[in-house]
Amino acid sequence: MNKRPRIILYSLVGLSVVISFFPIVWLVLTSLKNTAGIYSWPVQYWPDPLTFQNYWSIFTETPELLRYVLNSFIVGVGCTVLTLSVGGLAGYALSRLRMRFAGVLMVIILSVSMFPPIALLPALFQTFLNLGLLNSFTGLILAHTGLFLPYTVWMLASYFRTLPVEIEEAARLDGMGFLRIFFSIILPLSWPGFVATGLIVFIFSWNEFPLSLVLMTQDAMRTAPVGISLYPGEFAFPWETISTATVIAIIPVLVITAIFQKQILGGLTAGSGK
Amino acid sequence: MNAFNTLERRTQFVGIGFVTPTFLVIALILVYPVVQSIVLSVGQSSVDGFEPYRFVGLEHYAALMDDERFWRSLSVTLIFTAISIPLELVLGVGLALLMNESFHGKGLARLAVLFPWALPTALNALIWRWMYNADYGLFNAVGLESGIIGEPVNWLGDETLAMASMVIVSVWKTSSFMALIILAGLQSIPRDLYEAGRMDGMSRWQEFREITLPLLKGSIMVALIIRSMDALRTFELPFSLTDGGPDSATETLSLYAYKVIFEFVEFNAGSAIVVVQFAVIFLLSLLYIFTLRHKD
Repeated sequence: MNKRPRIILYSLVGLSVVISFFPIVWLVLTSLKNTAGIYSWPVQYWPDPLTFQNYWSIFTETPELLRYVLNSFIVGVGCTVLTLSVGGLAGYALSRLRMRFAGVLMVIILSVSMFPPIALLPALFQTFLNLGLLNSFTGLILAHTGLFLPYTVWMLASYFRTLPVEIEEAARLDGMGFLRIFFSIILPLSWPGFVATGLIVFIFSWNEFPLSLVLMTQDAMRTAPVGISLYPGEFAFPWETISTATVIAIIPVLVITAIFQKQILGGLTAGSGK
Repeated sequence: MNAFNTLERRTQFVGIGFVTPTFLVIALILVYPVVQSIVLSVGQSSVDGFEPYRFVGLEHYAALMDDERFWRSLSVTLIFTAISIPLELVLGVGLALLMNESFHGKGLARLAVLFPWALPTALNALIWRWMYNADYGLFNAVGLESGIIGEPVNWLGDETLAMASMVIVSVWKTSSFMALIILAGLQSIPRDLYEAGRMDGMSRWQEFREITLPLLKGSIMVALIIRSMDALRTFELPFSLTDGGPDSATETLSLYAYKVIFEFVEFNAGSAIVVVQFAVIFLLSLLYIFTLRHKD
């Protein structure tokens, strides 16, 4: 290739990287300014003085913001584990056991995944109120599991289909039971599929908003996106606290995305090619 | 033969056992609430069950027809979807083509494209809300210093600008998702098609028009379906960016339904809005599936 297109290519790539990153960079810079620096005009581009005061304040003065992050962790991990176990079994049965109506069941699972979350809210709120599941981790984990199960079943089923059938047949001839085949043969072989799906479900759960907003009404039970969004209250917007809390709340997803970039990319795009 | 039948029956039995937990959860969390929303929308009741359920027919739907705020939120939702999706598609295809080239630092570039997608939308909205800030925001600072704008702009305070601002945040976040799906499609196009094209003396534009685009149709449709359904239920973006303002200019159907249900505590009227939204999304998915089938 000659030189000019290379230059254009690199400038376009550079431009997209800059556009993707600058809001996050600006957020981090804001969190490193003191209050006077945040509310100054003309705007301070570089923090002066650069200070970690806001981070220190969060730990000492507003620990409820850390509580939100912890809540998100509990819900995210719980939802991921539950979704993978329940969805793994279903995905396996629907892809490998030659079940009757497996195709119909898969289509049903796909169609219910299109339900808008807002449509679930009135009834789910009432049901959870009656069952005592409002403001409980069990409740929100269950709700998130329901929301992300369809994706999980489809992803894992498409992963199981890539495994050779012969191994299972041999195991069956050896007299192994179904559950043992699943746990001692299928699981070890398909862990990359589980990792990719699990990471994406965790991110989905971490980012989920409407159900987390409505099913956790007590401040101490809120997840990070909801708690931080509601933190400003009615009038004042303490941007020094909000920017810092936002940095803390997005670090987990940024780290996961950075480390497991390949797995996540694979997981996101696997189903779409067909 | 008999042994085979036993194994076959046992397999079916085990299979049912394996899928049962999934269907129980889906029934409780997805199917029952949607059915219940329809039931609530044609009745009158109180949240705590104090007031017994009473069937009122289409009363709430009739009330919606006269509800200006409902029509406004429906049009906000449709306009938002109709503007952001084409923008995302164009940028997504462009980004995907870019990421399909080979260059140094590709890993980093892909990561940069993946990041906006991975962030919680509600927090994205907060990040941008701060940059749009009329008094201390980054956009006014850069705009004024470079002379692009003459005086500070109240990005989220004007009806048209607020909608545009919301579209920009959405496009920023989701073009990358479009790009990822389209990139997967690009990578499945056989290389030798392009070699053949080059032998025929095709220009790069012709290659794009005659090889890439037709073979990408499937991926593009998938991306469009997923994203349109997403855009039609947009909720936390206006919730955290503008709270639907100014004067309902960015109040989407989801946000309005939420307010009716949980702020005005009108469960039945809110359920009617939710059912209408459900119907819009359902019709759209049918339309897409139909066009997809039709074209193939």
